[in-house]
Amino acid sequence: MSQALDQVKTEACRLLSEGLVDVFVGYKAADIPMHPQPAFISKADEADALVYDGFCANNLATYLPQLTRSTKIGMVVRGCEARAVNILALENQHSRENLFLVGVPCTGVLDWRKLTARFGENVSAAVDEGDTLQVTVDGKTQQLPRAEALHASCQRCQHPNPTWADLMIGEPLPEGDPERVWAQADEQIGKTKAERYAWFAHEAERCIRCYACREACPMCYCAECFVDHITPRWTESTTSPAGQHAWHITRAFHQTGRCVDCGACERACPMDIKMTYLTDKLNQDMQVKYGFVAGMDIETQAPFATFSLDDKDRFVE
Amino acid sequence: MSKPRIALFQCRWCLYSIPDQEWVDNELPENIKMVKVPCTGRVNSLYLLNAIQGGANGIMVSGCLPEKCHFKEGNLGARRQLDEYTDFMDYIGFDKRRLRMFWIDLQDRGHIQRELAEFEANLSQLEAEPAAAFATRVGGEA
Amino acid sequence: MAYILEKKNLSNFLTALAPEYQVFAPVKRGEYTQFEALTANEELALDDAHNTRVPPKALFLPMSETLMSYRPNGRAEMAALAEEKRVVFGMRPCDAQAVALLDTVFEAEDYNDPYWRQRRDNTLVFGLGCNQPCASCFCNSVESGPFSTLGQEVTLTDLGDAYYLQLNETKAEGLLEGLPKASPQQESEAQAIQKQAAESMPAPFKTAEVKAELDANFNSAFWSEVSAACLGCGICTFLCPTCFCFDIVDEVQRSERVRNWDTCMFRVYSHETSGHNPRPTKRERTRQRVMHKFSYWLDHADQIGCTGCGRCVRYCPVGIDIRAIVRKAADLPLEVAHAG
Repeated sequence: MSQALDQVKTEACRLLSEGLVDVFVGYKAADIPMHPQPAFISKADEADALVYDGFCANNLATYLPQLTRSTKIGMVVRGCEARAVNILALENQHSRENLFLVGVPCTGVLDWRKLTARFGENVSAAVDEGDTLQVTVDGKTQQLPRAEALHASCQRCQHPNPTWADLMIGEPLPEGDPERVWAQADEQIGKTKAERYAWFAHEAERCIRCYACREACPMCYCAECFVDHITPRWTESTTSPAGQHAWHITRAFHQTGRCVDCGACERACPMDIKMTYLTDKLNQDMQVKYGFVAGMDIETQAPFATFSLDDKDRFVE
Repeated sequence: MSKPRIALFQCRWCLYSIPDQEWVDNELPENIKMVKVPCTGRVNSLYLLNAIQGGANGIMVSGCLPEKCHFKEGNLGARRQLDEYTDFMDYIGFDKRRLRMFWIDLQDRGHIQRELAEFEANLSQLEAEPAAAFATRVGGEA
Repeated sequence: MAYILEKKNLSNFLTALAPEYQVFAPVKRGEYTQFEALTANEELALDDAHNTRVPPKALFLPMSETLMSYRPNGRAEMAALAEEKRVVFGMRPCDAQAVALLDTVFEAEDYNDPYWRQRRDNTLVFGLGCNQPCASCFCNSVESGPFSTLGQEVTLTDLGDAYYLQLNETKAEGLLEGLPKASPQQESEAQAIQKQAAESMPAPFKTAEVKAELDANFNSAFWSEVSAACLGCGICTFLCPTCFCFDIVDEVQRSERVRNWDTCMFRVYSHETSGHNPRPTKRERTRQRVMHKFSYWLDHADQIGCTGCGRCVRYCPVGIDIRAIVRKAADLPLEVAHAG
């Protein structure tokens, strides 16, 4: 991914100088190691300050509902981000014609927490060099295979190529192995109900209801989230099991047929909660039951947005 | 051993026959709490979760036959969502046999009583845990 | 007055506190540490990752706190105020200073919060200074330091095989009575460690002094620039030891009135009943956060509202660094010409 940087800069510069976009969304260098910041540049000469590597790990599509529809936006996107953009266009949250997507086939984003877990809190620099990472701690630099720092969602990724981009940089990568894609969900399914509940409760109990997962997710754009609803009061805001369970169950369920499995939610969570196993199951079911994968085009409606008289009646023989 | 607590989301159109309607309004057993909805399409996952967290051991959603929805397609949307919600809740430990959707035809008198009785009998056979652990809401009158 | 507690005696020391005090200390939870009530076999994580993920202010202002419950007859039952006496062992100076700062909010003349007050009165804080400040720490820039004693009844310095305990408040003296006094040599050892820790930190940058620039540039495009990447996720405020905003809600389903942590970073926070929102976009909200810490706190308490713990810096999902924002603010003009 870092090899794509020069072309990303060239494209951003071209799009801005030719007036094809009003703003280009990418990343700029970090104030903090391993944390590049999403950047919104509006002048061609700012393109040179852009960065792009595995630490650029947010889902940039999350900014689209915040920008006005008439703004012409250029954006650098991975496979999952491009799918998220498709879904937002399908759900009428943005206008595809006003977007210029610069696609980068993705080798996976990096999980900075894996580096601090391994090397301690004082990682002062980490450079993504394609196959390896150069990690500097307390003045000493060590090498690490990139694969060991991949975020878990990327290890399960099925669609790394942003094939819906207006321009793709570099050759497409092979699609992910379907067996690997469902590994996390299948592992849960293999457990007993009691074990599955125990895992669910164990992860949910750390939740502090900060809603970082919601804000990092491009699909969570509701003007009023269900948790803010007062009349009626469906779920509680407390950090009690009732509140935590309700939050995790419902947010996941509201993603059915919409989640692109980018893992931004997990990466954002300050309490290290692993929640992608919930949407994994929903994604798996949508594929198995309806042959549907979210974001593969901007025409096909998600399964919950459409229904048929011929649907299977699971409850009635 | 007390009877299973059942939450029933009842579409008001499918119980058109007067005797069934009156039975549901006046003679519903104590362990069954009913919420009348204008269409099963109105039932969203938060209703189901609310019932589960409030202590329901089983949930029933009762509506018109697929081709006879009073509002044309509401029950079809409900069918898809409820199918998935059932599987999703089972995935996190709430037995899928505790959620059930069924259709009532206007002519089919007594169907609702039979469904409820059968559902209750089935619920009694299921293991209490881990489903009971989902009843996390405490305080006040449940 | 200073004492010595050898690490091999730590467990006994804490156990001895047990009948009278409930002891809270950092314990390991997955990849992070958290303050929890110690049980018999709990392993302390004092040497572990430098600070807890969630600040110990949660021990005084719980994330969710029931204020009252409603009985079926319509009567309200007030929640009992916390009675237990507690010792919080191992609080870092940034977090302890933050708790002391929050006293100005919760124990103000015109507003005295009994829930906060009761917990504060019943708690003794044993702070643990930082021998090795992290890269994200900046306590020395906000009128604090790795061995600041504010908010602590006792301050500990880790000497390696023992802790040097400095008594700051006489109310904790009774707990230290059985311990040997520190020798002059141990005292200079502690001082050397403290000096070394302070010197190891990057040079402090201006914080209180940028108030003038911040105030003059309320309407500046500066705020649009620094807030562009913000997700509005709220992590900075949830992990912040000085943030105190809360929301009181009647949880009708459980018949309780509950106070929860809230955050100014959510749009709904300032959304008024009329529909008007004085902070409609993240530009206004990010500005609010920075100005609250580095301007408004100075107005109301004559102190900076940030203690440099670095959690917001470390856990912001988009890498926004409040230190960078404050540094940039120092370069803003002091007088802004108004257009037209």
